[in-house]
Amino acid sequence: MASPASILTIVAIAVPWLASILVAVYRRQTRSVGSVACLISVIASALLLQAAPAGESLYQALMLLFSCLALLATFVLARRDCNSGSIGGILFVLGSTLLAYSTENLLILLAAWILSTVPFFLTRWLRATSWRPSVGLLLSSLALALAIALIAGEGNAVSIEHLKGQNPGGLAAFALLVIAVIFRKGICPAHAWVADAAEGGPAIPTALLLNGHFGALLVAKLIVPLFPRTAGNLFPVLSYLAMGTALYVAIRALTENSPRRLLAFLALSQSACILAGLESRTAEGIAGALVHWFVVTVSTMGLFGILRLLEVRFGENLTAARHLGLAEHAPRLAVFFAIFGLALVGLPGTLSFCSQDLLIHGTLASHPLTGLLLPIATAMNAVSVFRLFTRLFLGQRRTGFTLMADALPRERWILTAGVLFVVLGGLFPNAIVAQRSAEIEAVAQKTPGLLSPVR
Amino acid sequence: MNPSQAALVFVVLAPGSVFAILGLLWLLGWVPAERLVCRITGLTFSACVIGLAAILWKLASTGAPAVVVTFGTWFAVHDYHFPLVLMADRISLPFLGLTVVLSGLIGQFSATYLHRERGFLRFFLLLHLFAFGSLLAFAAGSFDLLAAGWELVGITSVLLIAFFQQRSAPVENGLRVFAVYRACDIGLLVSIFAMHHWAGTASFADGLPHLTGTQAVIVCLLLLLAAAGKAAQVPFSGWLPRAMEGPTPSSAIFYGAISIHAGAYLLLRVQPLLAQSTLASALVIAIGVITAIHGTIVGRASADAKTSLAYASLTQVGVVFVEIGFGWTWIALAHILGHATVRTLQFLRAPSMLHDYHQMHSAIGSELSPAGAQLEDLLPKRAQLWLYRWAFDRGHLDTILDRWVAYPLMQLSRLFGKLDNLGLRGPVRRTEEAAISLGSAASQGGD
Repeated sequence: MASPASILTIVAIAVPWLASILVAVYRRQTRSVGSVACLISVIASALLLQAAPAGESLYQALMLLFSCLALLATFVLARRDCNSGSIGGILFVLGSTLLAYSTENLLILLAAWILSTVPFFLTRWLRATSWRPSVGLLLSSLALALAIALIAGEGNAVSIEHLKGQNPGGLAAFALLVIAVIFRKGICPAHAWVADAAEGGPAIPTALLLNGHFGALLVAKLIVPLFPRTAGNLFPVLSYLAMGTALYVAIRALTENSPRRLLAFLALSQSACILAGLESRTAEGIAGALVHWFVVTVSTMGLFGILRLLEVRFGENLTAARHLGLAEHAPRLAVFFAIFGLALVGLPGTLSFCSQDLLIHGTLASHPLTGLLLPIATAMNAVSVFRLFTRLFLGQRRTGFTLMADALPRERWILTAGVLFVVLGGLFPNAIVAQRSAEIEAVAQKTPGLLSPVR
Repeated sequence: MNPSQAALVFVVLAPGSVFAILGLLWLLGWVPAERLVCRITGLTFSACVIGLAAILWKLASTGAPAVVVTFGTWFAVHDYHFPLVLMADRISLPFLGLTVVLSGLIGQFSATYLHRERGFLRFFLLLHLFAFGSLLAFAAGSFDLLAAGWELVGITSVLLIAFFQQRSAPVENGLRVFAVYRACDIGLLVSIFAMHHWAGTASFADGLPHLTGTQAVIVCLLLLLAAAGKAAQVPFSGWLPRAMEGPTPSSAIFYGAISIHAGAYLLLRVQPLLAQSTLASALVIAIGVITAIHGTIVGRASADAKTSLAYASLTQVGVVFVEIGFGWTWIALAHILGHATVRTLQFLRAPSMLHDYHQMHSAIGSELSPAGAQLEDLLPKRAQLWLYRWAFDRGHLDTILDRWVAYPLMQLSRLFGKLDNLGLRGPVRRTEEAAISLGSAASQGGD
C-alpha cells in the first residue's frame, strides 16, 4: 500500500502530464485545463509540505513554489499565447520539474532532467529560433547521463540515499556532474544559450524552464551529498566560476538593448549567485542561496510575464535603446515591473534583501577577495534593471496607437500575489529563512565538513 | 513595551504603513482623491511629531540616554543574526525630528504645488516611503537595519528625480544617480559584513562593535565611501546637479535637508571609531575641505537657482564633514539642523524667486545693488577664465568618472557582447539589429 506522501507526489506530477496530453489532443479550453491541473499540483504540493518532517522540507517547498509559479504562468499568459503548445509545454515542464525535485533515484532524476527539456526541442511547442539552447540542453543531458552511468556502475546502486558520501565514479563522475551544471545553469563560458532561449523562444515557458534551477538542484541533491570530500577540495573552482559568471553577465547586461536578453542576463547573474552561495560552505551562504532561489524564481517569472504582456500590447520589437514611455499607457504594469525588478536585486522590504545579505556574508566569509564580486555584480544588475525599467516605461509617451489596456484584473490579481510574496517574505523573512536554516543544520549533521569555509 | 517605545515604533512605521496601504489599494484599482491623500499625510506626520515629542519628554524628564526597542532577531542563520533594534538617542532624535517635521511641511506645500499634477499620488506615495526609509535609517540600532533604510532613501530619491517621466533628461539623470548610489553602497554592505566578521555584531545600540586599529580603519574607509556617495562629496558630486531635475519639494527635502545629511549621520554614528583612526579622520577632513571648496566655486558658475542652492548645500555638508573629522560632534549636529531648515526654506522659495525679486525691487524703487567684491577678482584674468571653465564643467568630475569608469566598463560590456556572438550568423544577431532599428523608428515616430 502506497503511503499518502507517495500518492500526493504522484498526483502532483501525473496530473500536469495528463493535462498536457489532454491539451495537446483536445486543444480547447486550454487555460482552464492548465490552471486546474496546476491548482491540483499546488494543493498536492502544499499537503506534502505540511506533512514533511521539520528540517527535511526543502524539496516539498520547492515543489509548492514551482507549481504556484506554473499556476501564475497559466493566468498571466496572454490570450494569443494560450495555445495547446504553450499550455501543454508549461504543464509538461511542471510535471518533469516536480519529478526531479521529488525523486531520490538517479535514473528518475536523469529522466526528469531530460523530460523537462523535451518541449524545447519540439517545433510546435516551445523551440527557440537559435541552435545554442538545444545544444546547451543536449550537452548538459549528455554529461549527466554519463555521470550517472559512472556513478551507478561503480556504486552498484541508483538510490541517492545509498550512495551518499561514497564518492562513486570518482573524479570523472564529479567532473561530468560539474559540466552538466555548467551547461544547464548557463555558467560561463556556456551562458549564451540562456539569452538565446529567452529571446528566440516563448517568454513565459522559457522563464519556467530557467526557474527550475536544475543546475542548483544537481549541486544540492547529488554533488554535495555524494562527493563531500571531492566537493570540499574542488568546490572553490565551481564557486569562482559562478561568481565570475555573475560579474561577467552583469557587465554584459549593461549595454544589452534587447529586453528579453537583458532579463535573461539578469536572471543568469542572480542564479549564479545562488550557485556561489551553495558552494560557499557556510550556513549563511547556503541559506542565502536557498532563499534567493525562491526570490529569483518569483521575480524573474514576474518580469518575463510583464514583458510578454507588454509585447502583446505594444508589439514584439520593444527595445531598451530608447525611452518608450509605456508607463503612460500601463502604469500598473510599470509598478509591478519596478517591484519585481528591484526585488531581484535586494530592495529592502523584499525577500531578496535578506537573501542578498546572507549571500554576501556567506561568500565573503568563504572567499574574502572573490566574494567581493557578488555585491559588485548585484550593484550592476540593479543598474541594468533600473535602466530597463526607465527605457521601457519612462520617457515621452509613445504614440502611434490608441488607448491600450493596463494590467487586466486577472493579471493584476496574480501579479499582486507575486508582489505580496516577495514583500511579505521580506517583512517576515524568518518564516522562510528559519526553515532553510533548519534544513542546512540537518544536512550538515549528516554530511561532515559541509560547513567548513575554505580560506 | 512602554509608551515611549510604542511611540518610537509608531513614528517609524506610520509613513511606511500609509505607503503600503495606499500603494496596494492603487495597484488593485483604487485611486484616492487628492484631498484624502493630503489629509492622510497631514495626520500621519502630525501624529509622528506628537510621538517624537513624547519620546523627547520622556528622555528629558528621566535623563535616560536613549529609548531602545528590541524586537529580537529579524532572521538568523547559524551564528549570524540580523538584530531588529530601534533606538532614539541624542544623535538620532534631531534627525528623526527633522524628518517628520519637514516631511509634513513638504506634504502640505506639495498639496498646492503639485495640485492636479499627473503624478500627484505617486509623489505622496514616494514621500511616505522616503520618510519611512529615513526614519528607519535614523532610528536603527544596528548598521544592518540602517542599511535597509539607507537603500530605501536612495531608491525613492532616484524615483523622484525621474518624477517628470515624460522627459528623457530627468529619467537619464535618475539612472545616473542610481548608479552612483549603488556603487557607493557597496562600501556600506561590505563594512557591515566586516563588522559581523570581526566583532560578531553590527549593532550599536549598546555601543559600537569592538574593532582593532586596522579593522577600525578598514570599516571607517568603507563607511566613508558610502557616506561620500550619499552626501555627494568629491569625487561623487556630479550627481547632485542632476538630481535637481525632480520637483522642487522633493529637492528641498532630499538635497536641502535629509538625504544629503544622511552621510554625515552615518559618520556621526561611527565617530568613536573614526577617532581611533587618524588616517580615516584625515581623509574625512580632506574630502570635506575639497568638497566645500569645490561646491563654493562651482556654485558661483551655476546658471539656475536650484543648482546654485544644491552646491551651497554641498559646501555646507563639506564643512560638516570637516567638523566630524575633527570630532566636533555637537557642532556638526547643530550645523546640520540649522543648515537643513534654512536650505529647505530656500529651496521651497526658489520657484518664486523672480517674484520675490520683483517685490523687493518695487519696495526699494530700484534694482538691488550688486553683491560686492568677489574673491576671484584677485586672480589674474587667465586664471579667472580657467577657473570659470573648470567651474562651468563642475570640476570635470563627471568627465573623469565617465572617462575612467563608465566608458571602460561599457567597452568591456560591448566586447563581451561580441564574444557572445562569435561565430554566430543566425537569427540572434539579426534580431538584435532589427530590435535596435525598429526601436529607433518607433521612438522617432513617437517623437
